[in-house]
Amino acid sequence: MENNGLIYPFSAIVGQEDMKKALILNIINPRLNGVLIRGEKGTAKSTAVRALADILPEREQIADCIFSCDPNDDSFWCENCRANFNKETGKIKKGKMRVINLPVSATEDRVVGTLDIEQAIKKGEKRFEPGILAEANRNILYVDEVNLLDDHVVDVLLDAAAMGVNSIEREGISYTHPSRFVLIGTMNPEEGDLRPQLIDRFGLVVDVRGERDVDSRVEVIKRRLSFEADPKKFVKEYENEQKELAGRMENAKKILNDVVYSEGCLSVAAEIAIAMKVDGHRADITFMKAAVTNAAYRGDTKVDKEDLFIAAKLSLPHRMRKKPFEEGVIDFDRINDIIEKSVL
Amino acid sequence: MFSNCFPFSAVLGQDRIKRALILNIINPNIGGVLISGEKGTAKSTLVRGFSNIIDSMDVVELPLNITEDRLVGSIDIKKAVNDGQKTFEKGILYKAHNQILYVDEINLLSEHIVNILLEVLSTGINVVEREGISYSHPSKFILVGSMNPEEGLLRPQLLDKFGLYVEAKGETNVENRTEIIRRRLEYEKNPKKFCLKWEKKDIKIKEIIDMGKEIIKRIKVEDEDYGFAVGLAKQGNCLGHRADIILIETAEAIAAFNQRNRIMEDDIKEAASYVLPHRIRELTPLEESETSMDDNRMERNNTENSPREDSDTVQKPLPEEENMNSDTKKEGIKESIEDIVGGKQKININMDFGKKFSNKGSGKRAKVKTDSSKGRYVKYKMPKGKVKDIAFDATLRVAACNQRNRDKKGMAICIKSQDIREKVREKHTGATILFTVDASGSMGAKRRMGAVKGAVLSLLKDAYQKRDNIGVIAFRKDKAEVLLNITRSVDLAEKCLKKLPTGGKTPLAAGLYSTYQVLKADKIKNPDSLQYLIIVSDGKANVPLKSENALEDAFIMGEKIRNEGIKTMVIDMERNYIEYGFAKELAKKMDSEYIKISQISKTDINASIKSLLDINR
Repeated sequence: MENNGLIYPFSAIVGQEDMKKALILNIINPRLNGVLIRGEKGTAKSTAVRALADILPEREQIADCIFSCDPNDDSFWCENCRANFNKETGKIKKGKMRVINLPVSATEDRVVGTLDIEQAIKKGEKRFEPGILAEANRNILYVDEVNLLDDHVVDVLLDAAAMGVNSIEREGISYTHPSRFVLIGTMNPEEGDLRPQLIDRFGLVVDVRGERDVDSRVEVIKRRLSFEADPKKFVKEYENEQKELAGRMENAKKILNDVVYSEGCLSVAAEIAIAMKVDGHRADITFMKAAVTNAAYRGDTKVDKEDLFIAAKLSLPHRMRKKPFEEGVIDFDRINDIIEKSVL
Repeated sequence: MFSNCFPFSAVLGQDRIKRALILNIINPNIGGVLISGEKGTAKSTLVRGFSNIIDSMDVVELPLNITEDRLVGSIDIKKAVNDGQKTFEKGILYKAHNQILYVDEINLLSEHIVNILLEVLSTGINVVEREGISYSHPSKFILVGSMNPEEGLLRPQLLDKFGLYVEAKGETNVENRTEIIRRRLEYEKNPKKFCLKWEKKDIKIKEIIDMGKEIIKRIKVEDEDYGFAVGLAKQGNCLGHRADIILIETAEAIAAFNQRNRIMEDDIKEAASYVLPHRIRELTPLEESETSMDDNRMERNNTENSPREDSDTVQKPLPEEENMNSDTKKEGIKESIEDIVGGKQKININMDFGKKFSNKGSGKRAKVKTDSSKGRYVKYKMPKGKVKDIAFDATLRVAACNQRNRDKKGMAICIKSQDIREKVREKHTGATILFTVDASGSMGAKRRMGAVKGAVLSLLKDAYQKRDNIGVIAFRKDKAEVLLNITRSVDLAEKCLKKLPTGGKTPLAAGLYSTYQVLKADKIKNPDSLQYLIIVSDGKANVPLKSENALEDAFIMGEKIRNEGIKTMVIDMERNYIEYGFAKELAKKMDSEYIKISQISKTDINASIKSLLDINR
């Protein structure tokens, strides 16, 4: 997907509005707990994720910290920052949020971290060599074909994703570090399913399909070809749009904490969850978070019905299935009904 | 671990989980608690929040990725290398002594680690004899586990070690749910502020616990309390005496929690609702009606709260099951051939409640010690032949013991080839189950296909939990068709079967040929997996593959499959006046299990297939 180091611009992706929305919302609010993109091959899944790199926001991080700890939030600092970092005098640097790739072939030791062999032989010391989960802290962890990942790797991934912490007790190493990441997975459902437990950990899920409309399809080909013919020129053409999008996201991040929601919104969340018989409470909570984030993305500080609709679309479908076998048929009419009737 | 986790007292509802945790601190002899429940019900949040409340104990977490050496402890490499001393480096079991040991997703823990845990749990001592180290230390802890039963069940030995069992469930009314969202969002906006706000309530709980710990010292257990407890345990058909003892210990804690010096009958009843659910063995319908007639209502609540009805994976109680069976049978007759006979509820047929916990099924068909470098590293071994997957930590520890006379060449340590150790990895290996189904016209008759579909589908849920791979091949008209190549997606298998049409001739040989190819390809992809083949046919082959003789061709292919060492079962669908017994002959040629559908119900088909799958456990 790269050409001379140039990435296909995010804003040049035709259609796939749900997918783009889900990705954007997650970057604005990493607490949405990631997104799973399901769809056939060739539907711009990976392109979209890679394209994110270009529009990711900058943030502050503690200089020299391998976990890029946030200088402003000491409750999630790593051991080292906790012991040595001083808020007044410590060095802070700016850095972009990054997309960290977790290859399907990754072994557990590379994921969670392992014993540093060089240190051990040279100095006879046991040191922790950080793995992918360390790198992923405060970044995006991208797993292509997440459904093909080894079961036990999925288990540790789940564990870390749920707690925001990676604890290692292996190979003579005992270590704990923060690992809070936006989990983005893509999968082709034809290749097999994900366990419901893992699906539930993804805040949002979108199903993508190839564009059905002829004009859009033509547009997809046109853009792709002109990108490949002259990537530089193509990227330049979209520069303004990219900037605008990045600016909008940055603004949304700023106002995110000011967004208010009425009691009515909360009842809608609960009512939908009960009507749809979802498992547990993750659905309601994610639903509200998505609505709040969408409001911020619109540049508004008040949640309205449109936000609720979008939140329902992105956060509910995958939580519908009660059992591994029952097909989750989501009753969108019913949801729309509940939202329409509500008084916000 | 990290400050500002979601406060214990701010979790709405889930009172039974909270209570169970508190009781364990008041009386550590209870023996821990297992929290089971659907996802997103604050299971782990509660345990982690709880660690902030108690200051007398720590919550030591046992992560899923743990290796043996960190669990039991091993030689301290640094000291060995630098000072030439053999010292013991403490592991998790040492840290956990007199503390709480918490295992999230305990049903996913690797087999080897569970074995070690079981041993330490029963002796209370961790004995380490490895790498030149000989050390033992007491290790008594309160074991707290949480799990989602959808992901597989817990080994019965481990289950029994838990004193208490509670279930986590989502709230079902709007007000409570709204409050939960409100609190969570408020917490995420500013965790620090939120924690401060709830600090007082947390402290109040802590005071109750501290008071309880004082009171419990003074509690005297009366003879009739023992009698009552034993009676309850007996009603539940509990094995052994553990249930009786834990009932009393828990009742004491409940009394202390309520600030009483005496145990009331209600305390024991309440205790029973925590202690008995995972210990009750199958109740006959008679016993069940007795208990409901009994003025002892609690006992009945008990059985209602017990996991068998709440959990998705579990069977209904016997009387209902019978009803359901007969219902679905009736349905089956009404339904058309293409439909699946038997509802989805009927899944897992031969597993009644009692067997739920005594069943070996714990989320995998088999745990294979794998030779490939995939899988979870659990321990090490001496290498045989060429070393492929070096266990560096273990190698280092062995080398560290032998540094005295070695030339280190400026490095801290010198490693010789005899020090090298290899990793032993453990991998969940689901089986590969391939269904080769005869979809010819003769199979359509008399709704045979429906029965087969019903039987196969009810196996699928089991297959999901055990992470099996499934494939479906159908043969009809003049060819075999791979409807579903070997996949993990049980959903797809279900859809495929639902749509499967019948009609046409019977190209049995072609079906078997496809089967052979598919299984062979799968073997290359997953060399560790156990392969099973289930052939459903009436054996009346009438389309040859190579020669003129359709049946002969089928037999030749069958023998080929047999030579691959694949476990097979032939389900004979023949149901005619004059029986040819071709399928039986095929089964003989293939050395396979053989059952005939006309003789038995589909419930038995399931049982037979399951027993086939379980052989290799």
